[in-house]
Amino acid sequence: MAKVLVIEDDEGTAEEIVTALGDRGYILDRAADGVDGLQRARVGGWDVLVVDRMLPELDGLSVIETLRSEGISTPVLVLSALNAVNDRVRGLRAGGDDYLAKPFALSELAARLEALLRRPAEPRATVLRVGPLELDLLSRKACRGRRELELLPREFQLLEYMMRREGQVLTRAMLLENVWNYRFVPQTNLVDVHIGRLRRKVDNPDEPPMILSVRGVGFMLRAAS
Amino acid sequence: MRLPEYVHSLTFRWAVGVAGAFGVCTLLLFGFVYWQTADYVIAAVDTIITADAKANGATTASDLSRFIRQYLEDDPRRVKLAELFTGSGTPSVGNVAELPPGLPIDGMPHTARLARLDNRGRETQATRAIARQLSSGEVFLVGHDTGLLHQVGQVVTRALALGLVPAVCLALLTGTWLSKRAQRRIDEMNRRVQRVVAGEFKERLPVGGYDDPLNRLARIVNAMLDRIERLIGELSSVGDDIAHDLRTPLTRARAMLERGRENATTLQDLSESVDGAIAGLDQSLAIITALLRIAEIDHSRRSAAMTTLRLEEILRAVHELYSPIAEDKGVSLRLDLHDTAAVSGDRDLLLEAVANLVDNAIKFTPEQGAVALRLLQRPDGPVVRVEDTGPGIAAAEREAIWTRFYRSDRSRHAPGVGLGLSLVAAIVKLHGFRLAIVDGPGCRIEIACHVAGA
Repeated sequence: MAKVLVIEDDEGTAEEIVTALGDRGYILDRAADGVDGLQRARVGGWDVLVVDRMLPELDGLSVIETLRSEGISTPVLVLSALNAVNDRVRGLRAGGDDYLAKPFALSELAARLEALLRRPAEPRATVLRVGPLELDLLSRKACRGRRELELLPREFQLLEYMMRREGQVLTRAMLLENVWNYRFVPQTNLVDVHIGRLRRKVDNPDEPPMILSVRGVGFMLRAAS
Repeated sequence: MRLPEYVHSLTFRWAVGVAGAFGVCTLLLFGFVYWQTADYVIAAVDTIITADAKANGATTASDLSRFIRQYLEDDPRRVKLAELFTGSGTPSVGNVAELPPGLPIDGMPHTARLARLDNRGRETQATRAIARQLSSGEVFLVGHDTGLLHQVGQVVTRALALGLVPAVCLALLTGTWLSKRAQRRIDEMNRRVQRVVAGEFKERLPVGGYDDPLNRLARIVNAMLDRIERLIGELSSVGDDIAHDLRTPLTRARAMLERGRENATTLQDLSESVDGAIAGLDQSLAIITALLRIAEIDHSRRSAAMTTLRLEEILRAVHELYSPIAEDKGVSLRLDLHDTAAVSGDRDLLLEAVANLVDNAIKFTPEQGAVALRLLQRPDGPVVRVEDTGPGIAAAEREAIWTRFYRSDRSRHAPGVGLGLSLVAAIVKLHGFRLAIVDGPGCRIEIACHVAGA
């Protein structure tokens, strides 16, 4: 089971995170300030850290910077009440791996933690395979079985991202951020429309579906069973 | 001693200053008159005594003695003085008691105080006098009273007192009156401002008929109060709107949960209710998040995240992002890039702003309609224009649509939280760009940018 250290001073938020992640089977510990958090993180054994940006004693960014300077590379998800672009940039520059602005849905947090825990195994692979689906990154060709898929450049990128994270729940915000490099919540169900188009190309009506909607959270690609 | 407050007022100080300057000028003028008059009197007296000092050409002591007696006989106003002093300085003939020690014996007129000694006794007189030495050693002295000068001085001083003192007093009184009046107006203004501070935003400062600085200031403050009153009105209506917009999805969530608890017989039924409730809560959260974001953008300053970026790339990105949405709705989305332009800005925020405008345009354009995303070049900078063939925005609504939660009656049915345009407005303001709705068929919204580095 993955071990998560939550460094968060707000009692309510911390409790929510601990409960929700506990339900999902994580093993959790919590620190309420920066100094305590840094000490526990140093001890090691964590798979991922959730660090609030604003902490008493020592702020979140300093905690991350200190850890990184000491060569501790445990993945970090930065939480912040501030959603300013500046702040996100600073959070990631300090060594955070992902950034989530409050208020957030717990399903969003869980999906992002999952993504941090299961980083793509072989980032340098040139051919990705999930079940019958094959993506050749060099020739930019996509096939399902023997059927070749005609994908637009963005659809190709979207499929690549989803195949690298096979079996993981991907939220709309994650897709927008990582595929389109946009960081805002659109008013319309933009992502759904784009996924819908990709799905029509990947999943023929007579084939078992590979792109699935996860109700209330996002989408997932997995080998049809 | 404590001075009254008006003494410190600017008006009063000006009055004192003007009175002082007036006094100094008057003094200088009168001084000049006195000096000129004295000069004239002395010159006249000098002419007389220079003639008299010749003593009709007498040179011997006996001739001079005779001249002196004759000279002094005819002097009803007692202005003439003459004396013949022996070599040792003792007076012999005449009406001067002694030779004044400071008087040069050089035959030239000088100012001197002479002691007159006659049948009325001894008396000192201010005079102009000439003393000269005879070849036999005696000193001959002739003098003429200059008491007239003293009288001129007195006249001048009296005139000065009669004219200057009332003038200065008048100036000071006027100053006092003016500053007291200003003080009263300031006090009145202060009382009213205090009422505004206490929360009476309807209060206004009194404005008189004249265009004096105080009235102008009062008018400026009143205009400011108008604006504040309007903002507060908007704020409270925003509060009402927030409450209203949050209540709708929350009520729905509550109803869903209630229905689930009472009617659900299977797990399937229950999870359907819960999903409905979550959707309602998500919408409330979306409203709160959007509000927080607007507030955050409103309060942030132009920052380091601003980089030079190309507008055409942003438009291309938004076009790519929204093409499928437009297509699904049966609306054509055209990208019209005649130009390229670089501006200084925050990529994510500008993307969001343009995306919001396009989002709105697609939402309000009926099927078979068209939305165009254009980059125009104007003399004062590049312009991003989003136009559609939708119903457009009535002139009366153009101000209101930027306020938070504004939904035109026609858009009530459309999805969204009614904050999109406020967000756009906040982003545009942060960049120092300008947002405008221009006339045309359908709706045309423009973001007028500044060129990078300008």
